[in-house]
Amino acid sequence: MMLLSLLANPAVRADLYPQTTRTIRPLISKRRWLRCAEGVSLWLAVLLMLFVHPLYAEASDRQAGQAEEAGQLYLIDSQGNRQQPALVLDSEFQVRVSGLLAETTLTREFRNTSDSWHEGIFVFPLPERAAVFGLTMTVGERRIVGRIEPRAKARETYEKAKSAGQHAATLEQQRPNLFTSRVANIPPGETVRVEVRYQQPVSYRHGEFELRLPTTLTPRYMPGESLIETATQWQAGWATATTQVPDAAEISPFTVRAADVDERSHRARIELAIDSGFPLAGVTSPSHSLVTETDGGRVVVRPEGREVLMDRDLIVRWRPLTGREPTAAVFHQQWQGEDFLMAMILPPDATGPVLRRELLFVIDTSGSMAGESIVQARSALLKGLDSLRPGDYFNVIQFNSQAHSLFARPVPAEGHYLARARQYVEGLNANGGTEMAGALSLAMAMEPAPAEGLVQQMVFITDGAVGNELALFERIRTGLDERRLFTVGIGSAPNMHFLREAARWGRGEFTAIHNTGEVNRALNGLFAAMEAPVMSDLTVRWPTGGNPVETVPARPGDLFQGSPLVQVVRGVPAGGELEVSGRLPGGRPWNTRLDLGNAAPASGLNRQWARGRIDELMDAARLQGEAPDEPAILELSVQHGVMSPFTSFVAVEEQPARPADEKLDTEAVPTLLPAGSRDGMLRYPQTATAWPLLAALGLSGLVLALAMLLLNRRPTW
Amino acid sequence: MVNRLLLLLFGASATVLMFGLWIPFKALVAQELLALAWAETQARQVEARPWPWADTWPVARLELPELGVSMIVLEGLHGESLAFGPGRMVTGEQGPVILAGHRDTHFRPLEYIEPGHRVQLQGQDQQWQQYQVTGTRVVDSRTESIDTSTFGPDTLLLVTCYPFDALDANGPLRFVVEAKPVNRPVQKDTVAAL
Repeated sequence: MMLLSLLANPAVRADLYPQTTRTIRPLISKRRWLRCAEGVSLWLAVLLMLFVHPLYAEASDRQAGQAEEAGQLYLIDSQGNRQQPALVLDSEFQVRVSGLLAETTLTREFRNTSDSWHEGIFVFPLPERAAVFGLTMTVGERRIVGRIEPRAKARETYEKAKSAGQHAATLEQQRPNLFTSRVANIPPGETVRVEVRYQQPVSYRHGEFELRLPTTLTPRYMPGESLIETATQWQAGWATATTQVPDAAEISPFTVRAADVDERSHRARIELAIDSGFPLAGVTSPSHSLVTETDGGRVVVRPEGREVLMDRDLIVRWRPLTGREPTAAVFHQQWQGEDFLMAMILPPDATGPVLRRELLFVIDTSGSMAGESIVQARSALLKGLDSLRPGDYFNVIQFNSQAHSLFARPVPAEGHYLARARQYVEGLNANGGTEMAGALSLAMAMEPAPAEGLVQQMVFITDGAVGNELALFERIRTGLDERRLFTVGIGSAPNMHFLREAARWGRGEFTAIHNTGEVNRALNGLFAAMEAPVMSDLTVRWPTGGNPVETVPARPGDLFQGSPLVQVVRGVPAGGELEVSGRLPGGRPWNTRLDLGNAAPASGLNRQWARGRIDELMDAARLQGEAPDEPAILELSVQHGVMSPFTSFVAVEEQPARPADEKLDTEAVPTLLPAGSRDGMLRYPQTATAWPLLAALGLSGLVLALAMLLLNRRPTW
Repeated sequence: MVNRLLLLLFGASATVLMFGLWIPFKALVAQELLALAWAETQARQVEARPWPWADTWPVARLELPELGVSMIVLEGLHGESLAFGPGRMVTGEQGPVILAGHRDTHFRPLEYIEPGHRVQLQGQDQQWQQYQVTGTRVVDSRTESIDTSTFGPDTLLLVTCYPFDALDANGPLRFVVEAKPVNRPVQKDTVAAL
């Protein structure tokens, strides 16, 4: 047992070797061998120190390291040796806000710190309504402008260039807010810069403008049965394809903690230039502290410190001076001889009769909500319970791998029910899967409250970290009936695409909470909106002279309090009047006119329109249960230079750079775990010892020695 | 001169072999000590350490009746616990039970495990939980990690390295055995009462 402990401790082990080797000495009795035995023991000691001890120590270190830091990323090459990540990632966001659009140049630098050639793969989020319109690759002094190609063809172009040793970069859309960039043949010690240009609409709600720049993503849950029995193929993500998410591997980059990447990696420099056209009362951010410089009508904003860690969305909000909030705006652009107009109209705030409601609160308690998120979600739900009025009915449903409702059917918002609900909510913990479909079914199939004339609403509190968004939208669209669905996004990097679209299909509104201090602010807006839509039966008439026009969105839905109507149209010149009419709560008609002659010049409207059209075509296909009109989307995408689900950007340099005899290593660059969340992924431990190797080595050595001895014993010649 | 070289080779080989054989020997002997500690754990309902300076303690007994294997499971995969017995991975409250062991010592018999085999796990409360192997698969640890949220808390995973007879101790492949609990038939004493 003593020996056992000695061996367990590498420090003590070193002292042990002379003893073990010395025991050989008495075996050798011949005086002639005595001297050489001393030499041998010295040699052995050296050998052991050099060979056996490091091997042994390494094996045990490895076990310790991998078990304790479960989320750590180790790259292991084809020989099974652990590697340090070779690629260092640098990002720079240059954002220019003008009017209702924000244009971003996102530069990613892949720095190869190893001495072999590398391919870098990076899965990253972009804003959910981004229209990507440019990709440029810079290697040294050379700039290669990417072109848009059908997805499969772009992939082929890239793979061909990659194997030919040419510099190449490609950008592919996996989800409307999730993209993959691949960069081939990054030379050892050098940097390849990939510039992505995109634009996004600025959100304007409750008198405040907001821009959200996602920098990382919450690891998503992939429902369904795994399709792959054994991992035979190389893949970039931690998840394997499932029956419900066939592209799981593409949207599940390895997630690591900030401490696990190179200390220069995964940092971003961010700068926003806001050209709002009206005086600002202030620029704030719930996610970062900001440094603001005002230069005339232009405000330049950047997060404090030179670089920020890419572990949370950057949210920037700006507010016009009180009383100067715009209630209408028109922008105009001529592009390739065609007119594009973008109009924004904010209906007046109006309150209707107080409605009695049946409210279902659905809260996500899956593993991805662990940490700060579940705290936010709980306080959001408690806030929701506070908003109930006498006469309302409610119920609480929580879901992870399974869905569970607090009451069998909605109960009146009365003292003891509310007290029970509060107690239930306070005891909620996050763990398990994200089986959202089950929760939706439970909520949709629930027996209605035993009261007449209730307005049915559902509040869905989640981070949206799922891979089967489309199936869920379909479920929401077909199963909701009269109910409206309102979503509340939680966490440092929620899936805003899911939250926005779920609310849209559910004819409701969405909001997002970035930190616990924001719960009140975000939910007050949402609950005010939930009282009733401010404007329904909206009709928008553009002065077309009788010609049909293509507007985006084609049919505006109901408007909620504080939200404007925004529409982009093609083929209408900047002249005449835009007419908007609708019905206020209580049924009163409302209409307004907007003079299009005053339109301010703008750029990027055509891209906004094209991206909107692509979405409409995808929606139409979904509504009819058909495959999307791929040729039409392809044409729109190529004509306006805007990426779509069926098109990718690819940039290839003509000259090959990598010599044919140099091999190319592939590295999937991980994303950072969102701030405040806990890692649910465990790495497989090291589960083999060196003993078969040592035994084989020792035995073969002995056999060799024996053979040599026998040979030596032979009579000499 | 030749003799010297020979002796050097002989000595070095013998030492390497000894160090090699020391690992399975330690694995074997440690299990005996652990059995004692396990008995004490169960008797006194405490976390009894098998030896005073151990950084782990027994948490369960694992039996594979079809393969004739019975061993003590240790807490955690940290330090050198895997050298003495399979370790239980810390997965949180709702995660599956994950046991990992060395493919060349304790978990060597997993090579012959097949779906349908029984797996029994005895906890500190002396209750045996019966599992049945539902499947085995080989995963690549470079590209996959264990998503604890996809398994229910009742799942048992046995993890070891793969292939079983490889010499390379740092290979990327892992062999994963998934087992689900079997509901024991309820004892019907009503017949006797009648």
